[in-house]
Amino acid sequence: MGWAHRISVLALIVPFCRAKTVTYDFNVSWVNANPDGLYERKVVGINGQWPLPVIEVNKGDRLVVNMYNGLGDKSSSIHFHGMYQNGTNEMDGPSMVTQCPIPPGSSMTYNFTVEQNGTYWYHCHTGYCYPDGYRQALIVHDDDAYFAKQYDKEFTISLSDWYHDFLEDLSHEFMSLYNPTGAEPIPNAFLFNDTMNSNIKVEPNTTYLVRILNVGAFVGQYLYIQDHNFTIVEIDGVYTEPTEASMLYLSAAQRYAILLTTKNETDKNYPIITVADSTLLDTIPSDLQLNNTNWLEYNSNADHPEGVVDVDESTDLAPFDDLTLVPHDQMALLPDPDVEIEVTVYMNNLMDGYNYAFFDNITYTAPKVPTLYTVMSSGNQSTDPTIYGDNTNPHVFKQNDVVQVIINNADSGAHPFHLHGHVFQVIAREPSYGLDFYNLADVDPVPFDANNHTAFLSTPPRRDTVVLPPGGYMVLRFVADNPGVWLFHCHIDWHMDSGLAMLFISAPDKIQETLKIPDQHYDVCRAAGVPFEGNAAGNTQNFLDLNGEPRQEADIPDGFTPKGIAAMFFTILSAFLGVASIFIYGLWDMKKAGVPTSS
Amino acid sequence: MANNVFAVQIFFIVFRECLEATIILSVLFSFLKQCLGGPDQDHAVYKRLVRQVWAGAISGIVVCLILGGAFIGVFYGLGKDIWSKSEDLWEGIFYLIATVIISIMGLALLRINKMKEKWRVKIAQALAQKTKSAKKRTRLSDWSKRYVMFLLPFITTLREGVEAVVFVGGVSLSLPATAFPLPVVCGIIAALIIGFFLYRGGNMLSIQVFLTISTAVLYLIAAGMFSKAIFYLQMHQWNVQTGGDAAESGSGAGSYNIKQTIWHVNCCNPETDNGWDIFNSLLGWQNTGTYGSVLSYIIYWIFLIITVCCLLYEEKTGSLPLQKQIVSVLLRVPGIGGYIRRKQEAAKTDVSEVLETVQAEGILNSKEGK
Repeated sequence: MGWAHRISVLALIVPFCRAKTVTYDFNVSWVNANPDGLYERKVVGINGQWPLPVIEVNKGDRLVVNMYNGLGDKSSSIHFHGMYQNGTNEMDGPSMVTQCPIPPGSSMTYNFTVEQNGTYWYHCHTGYCYPDGYRQALIVHDDDAYFAKQYDKEFTISLSDWYHDFLEDLSHEFMSLYNPTGAEPIPNAFLFNDTMNSNIKVEPNTTYLVRILNVGAFVGQYLYIQDHNFTIVEIDGVYTEPTEASMLYLSAAQRYAILLTTKNETDKNYPIITVADSTLLDTIPSDLQLNNTNWLEYNSNADHPEGVVDVDESTDLAPFDDLTLVPHDQMALLPDPDVEIEVTVYMNNLMDGYNYAFFDNITYTAPKVPTLYTVMSSGNQSTDPTIYGDNTNPHVFKQNDVVQVIINNADSGAHPFHLHGHVFQVIAREPSYGLDFYNLADVDPVPFDANNHTAFLSTPPRRDTVVLPPGGYMVLRFVADNPGVWLFHCHIDWHMDSGLAMLFISAPDKIQETLKIPDQHYDVCRAAGVPFEGNAAGNTQNFLDLNGEPRQEADIPDGFTPKGIAAMFFTILSAFLGVASIFIYGLWDMKKAGVPTSS
Repeated sequence: MANNVFAVQIFFIVFRECLEATIILSVLFSFLKQCLGGPDQDHAVYKRLVRQVWAGAISGIVVCLILGGAFIGVFYGLGKDIWSKSEDLWEGIFYLIATVIISIMGLALLRINKMKEKWRVKIAQALAQKTKSAKKRTRLSDWSKRYVMFLLPFITTLREGVEAVVFVGGVSLSLPATAFPLPVVCGIIAALIIGFFLYRGGNMLSIQVFLTISTAVLYLIAAGMFSKAIFYLQMHQWNVQTGGDAAESGSGAGSYNIKQTIWHVNCCNPETDNGWDIFNSLLGWQNTGTYGSVLSYIIYWIFLIITVCCLLYEEKTGSLPLQKQIVSVLLRVPGIGGYIRRKQEAAKTDVSEVLETVQAEGILNSKEGK
């Protein structure tokens, strides 16, 4: 892989001499690529290259990314997905949450230490941008991993859906009066390591650490390797007890690391089969290939058999249930929550006719001032959620609050939810992965019932992205031990942009104490023309005055409005007058004729 | 639900068409009675001709049932796929056609005497034609002369019948088969009763009241249909724009274009909720009121009121408002002028004069004649 980037390694004097600074210079610009062999398009490249460079660091390293936006026509930013950013909330990357969108011609330096391990990724976090190609793996190596001695080599598999059109253009079809059902644009292809039908050369009788990521925008994928079982050792950066599995489901943004031991014989090659989750697709175009085969190549001269998927629908596949995983550190269920948030997910249309996604009755609408900057400029009012505007759906926690989030799904689709800056314990979910997962998709949803629910897991799995079942619910718990403004959102990019997001603001007073936002970040705001002081409405004088806050469209009135009543009145009046005129005409004839006429 | 066993619009269409046919029959019978029914006339010939009329009428009905059946078969057999693809478009077009036809025939129903008169003139003209052509003796004219009392009712019932079948088939594309038999039977019975009373010269007063009420209902249906036609055409456009997935969403957001909507209630959808389909077929109720459908409903009634005013004016003064002026202008236009003059001539035909000629020529007695 010959991308041109500069890594300067500065050895720092730290204990054990291990931690270093890894620096990447990213010049982000449009390049041409044709990863599916079907269509060449402009994609977001870095330093003139695409696929993008994989960021690789060791646990404890400082990562510095100097990003220059050379796109010319599009704002951007970088979110390092899964990074805790403890103490560096301003480096998290989502536009209008922790920073301003970086306009063309501007630069921003992301600089933070990586005190964690595992499989992550980085992607643009400014509206409609990362699925244009601006996403790639971020690997944090860890020599101290409990399984470090159990594998010989490692490789990475990235899965992704792929569009031929620019996301920006598709977004105009998606958020449109003429898409009232909110049907998401259908991808044109599914990529495997940013290509298709590829080979991964393996040696016999060798154990590989395979990191698998779904860096797609929308569609989850099933993955299995013919005649191979494997051992799950990590989900979303959290080591798990080694657990055998044969099939994984990866929603957008989820990651797994597995140990895969190859066979002794080299006479055959084995298909790695990926199946797109077709329940997410409103229509399936005839030329869209849902099932794809790549190969675990033992012998390049041997046959490369096409993978056979022996089910008709992806729902007939029963993937490994991630809730059965146990974290390697055996961390127990967190204590009873200090704060509980219960929300219901649904889709609905507002007065502009567009289809929006809601947590309860709020569809996230970005504020005028990035919320982190509201925290920084609000003085002692920072703990009052009012100042963040109610249309950002903010929830303010105190330091070390145990937070429980209950999400009920009143929608018939599955949603992968992601929390920035944390992993959460997934302590209950109904229905669970497997053949029952879609049981509630077409019936009345079953919300969480405090008196009657599946037992909370005692050592629940922790991850940063988890799939909410259609019509069901899930319960998450985490400790608000990371001061910052953290976005909680559906990682289907379409839903993120139709408002399926809310803000968790942890210890805003602590944020003010500890955070030092670099001047460069404010320069970006100046260049972008985005205010960086004030409340959600940009009001710097009175933080409680939210006049002018960007707000969602009005609800569609339920039933008759005065306009409707007036219209109804006139239709009835006209019908009465018309009928009256018929009677006059009919009876006038009678008056005239009066007597029976029969000639 | 009610729509599944009794489609109101079908009842009125069948009723209207059957009534027209029975009027023609009653006019024919009174003609025969007038010409041949007298005590001094040949009773056998009279009886034979009456039988001819009946035979003509019944064979007309039989043929029309066959044609109509074939038509509906083709209609559903061949067309179902095309129509289900853009059902809203077709429903819109059929409703539009239905509205136009009902609107034209509806007010005429109120002038049943005029209708009788019109048919008397037409039949008299047809007979007069026969008289004239009787001089040229060809086989065909001979035959048609002999069976004129068969041909006239045959053609009449055939025409009205096919009209009814085509119309019922077209308008009711979306209705289940169970919705047909009852209204068809009721329509025929009602028409026969009225026709019988007309022939017997029964109580015109109650007939007139009945007709007035049914005409009012007919126009309520027509206004609703017009509104529905516009609604369906808009819906079709909406489905095209949204890629067709709005059609299945029933009530609620997404099933309609908010920008063109005056009201939308998330209930009472005539296509999915029981009971509301009666309001739909009678009054054109939709749980979505669009600017198009509401305005078209109101405009339809305004148009009707103006038409009624014009007709009343005509009956009072003998001509439509501005009619004389327009006719005098048109008369000067070459081509059209001649056509209008011929029309005017024809309108002057005196029925009794024709009848006398017919009697004198003995055209109806053709069995004995030569």
